[in-house]
Amino acid sequence: MLAPVTECLLRLEDEPYGIDDYRSGVPRWCTGCGDNAILTAVQRLCRDEKLPLEKIVCVSGIGCASRFPHYMNTYGFHSLHGRALPVAEGIKMRRPDLHVFVATGDGDCCSIGAAHWIHAIRYNMDMTVLMHDNQIYGLTKKQVSPTSPLGLRSNTTPRGAYLEPLNPLSATLGVSNVSFVAQAVDWIPEVLYQIIAQAFHHKGFSFIRILQRCPEFLPDLFEPWLQDPDKVKLLSHADGIEVSAGLAKTYKNLEAHDPANLDRAREIASVTDPIPVGILYRNSAVPRYEEIRAPDRTFTPAMVKAGLEKEMDKFTIWPAD
Amino acid sequence: MRSHIESTGAGAAKTKPAKPKPARRASGANHENKPDDVKADAMELAPSAATETGSGADAAAGPALRPALLAGYRNLAALRHDFPLLLVAGEGGEGGDGWVRSLSGMIDGILQDIAPQGAEGEALRRQLLGLEREVRALVSRGAGGSLSELWTRAAKQLRGVGDADASSVADNLARARNALRLDGAVIDCDAESPAKLFSHAWTTMQRAKTRAVLDEINELVLGLSDILKADFMRSDAARAPAALKGAVGTSYEAEFDFDALSRLLTDASPRDALPEPRRRRIGAALSVLQAQRFFAPAVAGEDNGEGLYSFAFESCEKAREALQDRLPAMVALIKAIAIAELEIENRYKAATHDAFFESFDENTLTPEGWALFPTYLICLRDAALDAAETATLIELLSSSLPMKIMLQSDDILAGPALGPGSLALGTPSTRLANMAVGLGGAYVLQASGASLYRLRHRIRSGLEYAGPALFSLFSGAGPTTPGLRPYLAAAAAEQSRAFPVFSYNPAAGRDWASRFSVADNPQAAAAWPVQHLAYEDENHQRLSEDVAFTVLDFVACDRRYGEYFSAVPRSEWHARMVPAVESLTGEAGGAPEATPYLLMIDESDALQRVVVDHRLLQAARRCGETWHSLQELGGIDNSHAKRLLESERELWEQEKAREIEALRGQAAPAPPEPAVEQALPAAVAEAPAPEVAAAEAEEAPPSDDPYIETARCTTCNECTDLNNRMFAYDDNMQAYIADPDAGTYRQLVEAAEACQVAILHPGKPRNPDEPNLADLIERAADFE
Repeated sequence: MLAPVTECLLRLEDEPYGIDDYRSGVPRWCTGCGDNAILTAVQRLCRDEKLPLEKIVCVSGIGCASRFPHYMNTYGFHSLHGRALPVAEGIKMRRPDLHVFVATGDGDCCSIGAAHWIHAIRYNMDMTVLMHDNQIYGLTKKQVSPTSPLGLRSNTTPRGAYLEPLNPLSATLGVSNVSFVAQAVDWIPEVLYQIIAQAFHHKGFSFIRILQRCPEFLPDLFEPWLQDPDKVKLLSHADGIEVSAGLAKTYKNLEAHDPANLDRAREIASVTDPIPVGILYRNSAVPRYEEIRAPDRTFTPAMVKAGLEKEMDKFTIWPAD
Repeated sequence: MRSHIESTGAGAAKTKPAKPKPARRASGANHENKPDDVKADAMELAPSAATETGSGADAAAGPALRPALLAGYRNLAALRHDFPLLLVAGEGGEGGDGWVRSLSGMIDGILQDIAPQGAEGEALRRQLLGLEREVRALVSRGAGGSLSELWTRAAKQLRGVGDADASSVADNLARARNALRLDGAVIDCDAESPAKLFSHAWTTMQRAKTRAVLDEINELVLGLSDILKADFMRSDAARAPAALKGAVGTSYEAEFDFDALSRLLTDASPRDALPEPRRRRIGAALSVLQAQRFFAPAVAGEDNGEGLYSFAFESCEKAREALQDRLPAMVALIKAIAIAELEIENRYKAATHDAFFESFDENTLTPEGWALFPTYLICLRDAALDAAETATLIELLSSSLPMKIMLQSDDILAGPALGPGSLALGTPSTRLANMAVGLGGAYVLQASGASLYRLRHRIRSGLEYAGPALFSLFSGAGPTTPGLRPYLAAAAAEQSRAFPVFSYNPAAGRDWASRFSVADNPQAAAAWPVQHLAYEDENHQRLSEDVAFTVLDFVACDRRYGEYFSAVPRSEWHARMVPAVESLTGEAGGAPEATPYLLMIDESDALQRVVVDHRLLQAARRCGETWHSLQELGGIDNSHAKRLLESERELWEQEKAREIEALRGQAAPAPPEPAVEQALPAAVAEAPAPEVAAAEAEEAPPSDDPYIETARCTTCNECTDLNNRMFAYDDNMQAYIADPDAGTYRQLVEAAEACQVAILHPGKPRNPDEPNLADLIERAADFE
């Protein structure tokens, strides 16, 4: 704030937000859906960070996850299939003061939106991307997605999926300018919250792949991991997530991983069992597109008008005297 | 003389071989060998000696003689030193101390960048150093202009002389020129340089600050304009057919039915216009922001700058009047900025903020608010400082206003005309800096013109300081030291403690040790700086001695004080003659028979002994005491610290003595006390870490009651959908059992079975009459 008095006035009028302030309507996701846990974690974060409602924008594409903006009492943009990221980039470019969350699914991001995804990583614009990965197209009732496991029987692959699934973590870590990559699972809310919070504070493109259950179409997909906590490996580090004593009693499979280590992050990303959970990579030094391309000064309407008049005058043919 | 002058011979006065007359043979420091037949002492020598040697002004201490330590600096233009300086133009000068550069430093930098190591780069080094010498000579002869212009002139002269290959010179200088990335005005050390340098520093810093603030203001203008524009776009006027037609343009206007479009938009869009008071408030703030006159546009040419306030003054009174006149506009601008920020953040609350802003006036301005605006630069000459101006100056320094006052003195001795029997060195204006330090809240820097480059960081600190600042400077360009160039005179004043360097920065900390410093003086820990003087005797034998440079040496350069000095012919030197510094420091000062003298040189660099009048000695002692006071304030030889140290040492020695006595008196050692670990109960010693204890406390389940591991709940709605009175969400939207009696044991068991993460534990049945309990208890066993 330029005027010191503004800070004082804002502090005086500071009103605490409750989690209900960020809620809008009743989610229409299926009961038991992992999307609920992600929504709750984001709402908790907004409350804890005291983010003004009008300073948040949630952007989504198409899919179950893309109903996310409807359930946030903030600005939202339910855009086209696969186009959440370019819309979010436009918002961030024009309004860098807004906090941008992108909710996208495995189909929305890794299939039709794959080109935007790759370039969004490269642009490294400051936004928090939540990739809800239930490994199935749920909204259209069970078609195979790019992350579906090999052999998965679906309405489009009745004999089983033919291809190995795409690994979003490895793909993201392979793109230049990558700056933040994490993996979470919806069934460990404490870690999910921590990861989203750290992604939010990271200045750059924060990509979180969140493995989530689809109780309707793939109810047993993650059952082995739910039943056996040792099949989840928590990545802990002073610069990553901190595993609480309570959590450590359940999840004993821990690995100390420095998020600055890109090579090790790539190794970890390639492992699917046990599921690595935590911050794989973080580099705050990567330049951000919105900063690189930010104008060196602000143009007021009067300045724009004066500039245009000046340019136009160059081509004006003045009548002869 | 100063460490920042680089030259062969500098600091080592090399006198010519002694000539037969007058007494020029230097005798070195061996006083025992000196002749003892000088009859007159200092008290009675001055008038008679002046008669003997001609006029006192010209013969004794005028242009004819100068302190021996200045022997190496006759041709200053041939010596590499700080000056000339480049006042870096444009944004290259912004940030840190890059606003000013030394020519020598820049040439060194270029050589480091482009000159190959060894013999290969020798020609380039020689030619570029030659160019530097030419530029320095041009500037010393009064040539002005930018570095690029002076470079061109110097290069032309270099190409025209010597036997060097002209094309090689041109090529090398062209390469060097390409490596020269900065430009700006070049200044020498003269009467005008302090004002030029300060104006440049201040302008550079204000430019960066203005750009930043103006950009913020433009952001606010844009934000407010956006709000008004959005409001307009929702208005009937914006949806009128004519407005829509204008928005589409002429190319495709035939394709549209603007009446129909207008009707559609008017009917379909929500009507939520800005409340009128808010629109007025935003409009008013916008007007103030757009009409402000404090900050010039960031890019020249966007505005002709008419109507902008000026912040550079030559009088304290005028600066104060200007500030008073502008105060209402400052308040209005701060208010508009605050309102704009609140409006853009959507945080303006009329119920509370209206009253606050109505009573907002200059008394509400905080130091942070003042800091937004440009500071005021006032360049003063002490000659124009009358009583009224001095009073205003002190008033400004006592305030917290951002006044940056540069007070330049060209003459710090002002002649010996004082009352009978008394002689005081220094003019009233030169004491202002000492007084300003006592005010406590003003930044103060006293320095000579020769040190401006070396002290550029202190100049920057003073200009950046939020409150008032006084820069008291001695230019060295007075008319009474015609034999010395201003740089040398200024440096001599600083060296001799006649005008010592000190700085006081209230922002540097809360104590004197942090705020006050005399460390920028040469040999700050010494009473007088001592330099090594080497010379030859009449037999061409090399001699040397350490010579102090005292305030007497500086005064001896001033022709007005000629009658207080007298050269003594060598034939009259005697054993009671002692270096004047000994008399000043008290080592021999108490001996009435001692005759203090200075070592000086004449125009042919022959050494002379010059005796000093006792009145001047007394004045010099007072000057030394003033310097000692500054040293104490700066933590050097501080008497309070010494006393404290002494008393602490005494206490320590007494304590140690007692301990020794006690040890001697001990007949046998006392039995050892039990170790702390042994005294502790085992349970305490083995207590787990708090974190683990907390975790264990958390996990302790109630015996038969149902419970949920709330922290692991994923908000999946399974249980709340089953019974939202029995199960509820907490503040984190995670489930807990709100009322175990609000449902059946069956619902508890079914909820546990439905829970995706198996964190619901049904416990034992609370109603023994519930049907099918046995089956339910068996199903619940999986979740215990």
